[in-house]
Parts: sequence; C-alpha cells; structure tokens
Amino acid sequence: MADQQPIPKLTEEDLVSRLRARDTSAMSVLYDMYSATLYGVVLQIVKVEAIAEDVLQEAFVKIWNSFGSYDASKGRLFTWMINICRNQAIDVIRSKQHRVNNMTEDIAGSVRSGLYSDEFKPEHVGVREMLERLNPEQRQVIDLMYFEGLTQSEIAEEYNIPLGTVKTRARSAVKFLAKFFKGRA
Amino acid sequence: MHNQDYIASGVLELYAAGGLTQAEREEVERRAAASPDIRLALDEACAAMEAYAALYAAQPRPELKGRVMQEIENHGFEERALPAEEPIVQPLYPVDSEASSAYRWMFAASIVLLLLSGALSFHFYTKWQHAEERLAGVIASEQLLAQNIRNTSLQLQKQAETLSILRNPEFKPVRLQGVEAHPEASMLVYWNPSRQQVYVDAVTLPAPPAGKQYQLWALKDGEPVDAGLIQAPGGRMSLQQMKSVSSAQAFAVTLEPAGGSEVPTLEQLTVMGNVES
Repeated sequence: MADQQPIPKLTEEDLVSRLRARDTSAMSVLYDMYSATLYGVVLQIVKVEAIAEDVLQEAFVKIWNSFGSYDASKGRLFTWMINICRNQAIDVIRSKQHRVNNMTEDIAGSVRSGLYSDEFKPEHVGVREMLERLNPEQRQVIDLMYFEGLTQSEIAEEYNIPLGTVKTRARSAVKFLAKFFKGRA
Repeated sequence: MHNQDYIASGVLELYAAGGLTQAEREEVERRAAASPDIRLALDEACAAMEAYAALYAAQPRPELKGRVMQEIENHGFEERALPAEEPIVQPLYPVDSEASSAYRWMFAASIVLLLLSGALSFHFYTKWQHAEERLAGVIASEQLLAQNIRNTSLQLQKQAETLSILRNPEFKPVRLQGVEAHPEASMLVYWNPSRQQVYVDAVTLPAPPAGKQYQLWALKDGEPVDAGLIQAPGGRMSLQQMKSVSSAQAFAVTLEPAGGSEVPTLEQLTVMGNVES
C-alpha cells in the first residue's frame, strides 16, 4: 500500500510529530506519499475526476485543520486519512444534487464498470488473479461498504441478504486480502 | 467480551471495510486503544483493506498538489489561532451545511411568499366583495327600471284603450250631475249601445263611508238595471268597464252597502244624467 510507492518517506511517527507542530512541509510529504491511493479511492467513490479532485483537496485541508484530533492510540494515520477522504466523497455522492446529476450517467451506462477493469497499476502483478480468487459475493459486500459507504445493515436490507451473511462475507473478504497481501509483502 | 472473542467476532473486519455505523466505529476504536492485541488485529484488517483500495490508486493531475498546498498555507494561519476540534471520524450523514442553508433560504422565501399571497388574497377578496355589492345594487336598480317600464307600458296600453274609446263615435258620453244633496259630485259614463259596453270615467264622487260603495244603475223605461259597482276613485287614468247595458235612457249612481244591492236605495242617489238621443 503506502510503502509501495517509490516516494521519499518518513516514518509515521515523524510525520505525525511534524504535523502536530504545524509543519506545512510535512503536508507536502504526506501528499506525495498518499495522494495517489487516496485519489484512487475517492475516484472509485465519486467516479468523476473533477469531483474527485475537489474532494481530495477538501479532504487534505480537513486533514490539516483537524490534525489535532488525530489520536494515534486509536488507529493508524493512513486509516484515519483514508476515512476522512471516504467520508468526504460519500457525503458528495449522497448529496441530492449529486444524485440528480448522476441519474443521467447511470442511464448512459455504468461508469464504475469501466473503472474496475483497467485502472489497476501494472506493478500489481497477480492482482487480477487475486480478484478472481476473491469470491464475487464477498467482494461485492466490501465494495459496497468501502466505495458506496453502506453499513452492514443497509446492505442486508437493500440487497436482501441476512445480516449474518453480510458479516461473514465481509470478514472472509478482509481475511483473504490480509493473507494475500501479507504473502506479497 | 474477551479480547480474543472480540477479534474473532469479525467486527474489526467490518470496521476496516467501512460497514459500521458511527457508534459502532467509536466502540471499536475504544477497544483498540485499550488493548494492544485488538489494535494489532485492527491494523492488520485495515492494512488489508487499504492495500485492496491501493489497487485503484491513480495519480491526480500534478496541478492539484499546488492547489492543496495553497489551501493549507492559507488555513495555516487560522489554525494556529484556532486549534481544530473536529471529530476524527465524520458521520456518514453529516448535515450538509450548503444544502441546509439553501433550505433555510427556501423556507424564508416560502414564508415571504405565503404572507404576500395572503395579503393579495385579502386585497382581491375585498375587491371582489365590493364588486359583488355594486353588482347587487346594479341588478336591483335594473329590476326597478324593468318594473317601471312594465308599469309605464301597462299605463300606456290602458291610455291607448281609453283613447280608442273616446275617439270611437259609437260611444255616447253621458254626464251625470250631482243631485241637490251632492251638487259638487259628477261623473262621466261612456256607453256603446251597439256593443252594449259601459265605461265610467272622471269619477268625482264624495269618498264613500266605511262599508259603503257606489253602484251604477241603467234606467230603462223607469226600471233601474244593475250596471256594476264603482271602484274607489284613486285618480286613475283609465276607464273602468262596467256590466253590459243593451238599452238605457239614463244612468244613476247610488250609495249602497258594500257588495251592492238588488234595487237602488233612492234616498242615497248621488248623481244621475240622461242619455242624449
């Protein structure tokens, strides 16, 4: 993930302490290290590049402004950042205006399906195999959670899947991914 | 729940995948902060999802970094003065301030429109009421006018009738003069012997006392024949038609009890006159 990007790095602790000291150059490093991954996630959620750029910009400003509330004991910095980006992006797609705008796109055809197939970076060798081995039902559940912002109960309700099954699928998918990426690291 | 059971429950994976509610997330974060084992398992799950998400990594346009850094520099000054107190995890359904302010505007605008339309409604209602009143007045006066026209044309018709009688040479005018007791009384009778029609006109008789009525008689060979009761004179412009009389030498009027009598009460003779031959 983050360490896979060939960019000058700092340890998470270093970054956190420099950001706490309100060092704007640390934000520059943070941007270089994580912007591609965060942008990719945001783009998966909002699907339109111009919107994804706005969301990413707002998210970085939010990361900077609310850095004081980041609590390292509760989770990793990247987890905290990616959640800010996801929340920002999900807010956008849940806003009424966006839904209205998107209606026409949905009619024109699924934008998402286009993003799925060709966006993978060439250095991720074996990604296709991995995705093929990831059970499609399990993948659907984590994609709905991660890229659509649905909770487990919303998925159970909207897709008519028992809540226990939703839980099991999400758990199996994450377990599978953990094992897969651990083996590759 | 024991830490290992908690880890095995699958809630950490749900957290990593983003399938928990705000309250559930906070509970996971609390447990992770309290237990290194849970924290480790949580980081592992999150790292797995983040590695999965990184498969979609895409470079934003290079200009974006300049924009972002510019924004951050601008915010830097404010932030030193005002430390941020925003929560770590944003709720999934935050109040969309832009939308809600738009709603506030729309709400305010709708109230203004409501008041405006209320005022307009009142204004037009009042106008309508006035118009209704005026229309009612116009309708009443129009009806009055129509009534007047009907009356007038009726009078005209009667006068035309009167005129046709007066102009008709077949009618003989008979002037009845007051007898000694009523020298000021007089009356005109128009008689058409061929059609046997009798009309009375220009009735200037003393007002009859209550319960009494004037009755016209035709005198034929000294015998009085009833020719009908005379209506109370009221300055009417038209003639009153009486019973038909085939032949008479004179006409007379007596005062009789209301409803008339079979034979005239001669003491009550008021006017009389002879038919000129």
